[in-house]
Amino acid sequence: MVLSGAKLNSVYKIAEVKDGRLTRRLLDMGFTPRCKIKALGFAPFGGTVLVELRGFTVALRKSAAEYIVIEAD
Amino acid sequence: MEYSFVLTGNPNVGKTSLFNRLTRSFEHVGNWHGVTVDRVSKSAKFEGDDINIVDLPGFYSLTVHSFEEEISRDEILFGKYDALIYVCAADNLSRNLYLLLQLLELDVPVVVVVNMMDELYAVGKTIDAKKLGDALGVPVVLTSAKRGFDGGEIISAAVAESKKHRKRDLPYLRHLPIRSIYEKNKDGITKSKLKPLYASVKLLERDAFVESSVGSGHVAETRYVAETVRLRYEFIDSVTENIIIRDGKQSALNKASEALASFADKILLNKFLALPMFLLIMSGIFWITFGTIGSFFTDIIEKGINIAVESTESFLVKTNLPVWLIKLVCYGIIDGVGGVAAFLPQIVILFFFLAILEDSGYISRLAFMTDGLFEKIGLSGRAVFTMIMGFGCSATAVLTARGLDDEMMRNKTVVLTPFLPCSARLPVFTAVAGAFFGKMSVLAILGLYVLGAVVVVASAAIFESGKKLKSGEGSFVMEMPRYRIPTTERVLQILWSNAKTFLIKVGSIVLVLNVIIWILGNFSLTQGFIGAGSGDSILEQICTVISPIFAPLGFGNWRAVTALMSGLVAKEVVLSTVNSLGGVTAVFGDSLAAICFLVYTLLYVPCVATLGSIRKEAGTKWMIFGLCLQLGTAYVVTLAFRLTALAFSCGIGYGIAAVSFWAVAALLAALTKIIFEKRRCVRCDGCKHCG
Repeated sequence: MVLSGAKLNSVYKIAEVKDGRLTRRLLDMGFTPRCKIKALGFAPFGGTVLVELRGFTVALRKSAAEYIVIEAD
Repeated sequence: MEYSFVLTGNPNVGKTSLFNRLTRSFEHVGNWHGVTVDRVSKSAKFEGDDINIVDLPGFYSLTVHSFEEEISRDEILFGKYDALIYVCAADNLSRNLYLLLQLLELDVPVVVVVNMMDELYAVGKTIDAKKLGDALGVPVVLTSAKRGFDGGEIISAAVAESKKHRKRDLPYLRHLPIRSIYEKNKDGITKSKLKPLYASVKLLERDAFVESSVGSGHVAETRYVAETVRLRYEFIDSVTENIIIRDGKQSALNKASEALASFADKILLNKFLALPMFLLIMSGIFWITFGTIGSFFTDIIEKGINIAVESTESFLVKTNLPVWLIKLVCYGIIDGVGGVAAFLPQIVILFFFLAILEDSGYISRLAFMTDGLFEKIGLSGRAVFTMIMGFGCSATAVLTARGLDDEMMRNKTVVLTPFLPCSARLPVFTAVAGAFFGKMSVLAILGLYVLGAVVVVASAAIFESGKKLKSGEGSFVMEMPRYRIPTTERVLQILWSNAKTFLIKVGSIVLVLNVIIWILGNFSLTQGFIGAGSGDSILEQICTVISPIFAPLGFGNWRAVTALMSGLVAKEVVLSTVNSLGGVTAVFGDSLAAICFLVYTLLYVPCVATLGSIRKEAGTKWMIFGLCLQLGTAYVVTLAFRLTALAFSCGIGYGIAAVSFWAVAALLAALTKIIFEKRRCVRCDGCKHCG
């Protein structure tokens, strides 16, 4: 499952970050495999998602959230 | 002794706040990621030493993604400094240490400053600075730019660190094939003059900049990219374990504010409430600025100015000064320029609210909630920052678009932002609307703000529907700051610095320009002083040639045209010109002409400074495009507005004109669309010809 399909407020674990244009940026921001992640909210029209990881909060557009493969924690 | 230190770190950790504290400066700060977009430096004295401090835009990694991040990387790689001062946010240590590790790999002197400690103390926690410092091989200073700041501690740590050479041990590097990648690219690395360890690690990370500097050598396997990142974060996790210690209790105040913050997020991040809340907040701000408190102060000052004009005139008449000089002083200077200066309270109030929006962390939430909408019209939620700043000053707002990573999106944001009314347009709106609409003027002004926003959205949507100006695949990865309350000191500083900027502008540009315009408007080349309105003054001669262009818009008289032209220098001058050329009611015959003039003022080129900013950010081509776009849009929208208004008030004749205008506009839009569509090749999913 990718991050854009996450259920609100449940904790997941990052399985992998897919290869592509944004991979590097996401890795640098701390989206690394095995890191715990939680979806805090979705914006209307288009599904930009707000997530919490490593103790900080970050918003990702759907196209970026689809890079992040998650699994149940 | 002289020292040079560079402040660096992730975005929104308080680098510029520290910079302001250390150098006693007033650089712009705000509670969002990406406020600083350029390198700033200043010197200060500390215990007899000259210390030069450089402030840089924040970034996440030495492998950069945008222009402002490049500025930071280049300063760190090639700048001359004695030590880096690496600023971290106390609440987000592990992500903050990631960039630090990359700087340590560079093998330069670094001092770590953990800022915002007050937020950690408030929840009854602290950081074991010694343990952290020992693990990383750097001195660690705990501080808070907001409360109890001690700059001397940071500077003396940096001075001490710059004098000794530490051999650091970064154990995670042992798991990477650094030796082998170095050997394979030895010649290229030596030639590039990059530090060997940095270059080797970045080659493993497939950093485009290092790969191109080193030249076509041996390229690393892609699996090392994620591997390097993973090893760094694993090391960070081992270092930060048990580094935050509980040494007290969470204060009751902090508990209450946390509850308030989560309540605010429930409303502001609610799908259905977010937009209505935004409209409510903005209307509230404008209502206070224009309607109640702001206009109360402005009215008092205006009454004072009227008294000043009358008493000065009656005093000067008794002297032997020439009539023209008396008129120049009374109407050209006191009435014209003073009439603009009277808006000081409103401008200060508006900037105060904008700063509160900026510092609270609200704009980031708005950016998140609107990103979906903005994506549909080819912009990004991040553009919200630029646009809100645009209510303050278009010229400086344009510069904040740098953080957008798609070039087309950035350039479009840059040319569209000036459609939103900046604070310089505020005096024009208030004075002209106030004279014609009385109590309803607040609604008229709110309408102008809404119109500005509608024009931005509509233009963006039109750009996005064609092929040529379509945005690329932008990304939106934006950190969300905590809610914060600005300190009293900061609020006073905002009020003071904006008041100062405004008064200096009025006292210089507006004054000089207005004296020139008054003279040109009251003197004739052949007869000398003749007064305004006689038809022979120099300005009347010139502007009567141009004014017919504006006749369809309802204000085709030389005074209004002069005001618009002088407004190109600074929008405040529009009002001072109108004031000194006879006053609002003399310049505009009726309320429709006045509101049309305001619509035009809203949309045409804000000022030459903004054009300069557009050129700086997007290049000359985009500046010319922006200029044409703004002049064209202003004309077309004002014409449409006037015809529609006339149709309602004056019946069938104008109704036909309005309908045919809209028909022609629709036809033109359709034609443009067809022309752009034709550019698409047959059976092609996208090539360099059709984007």
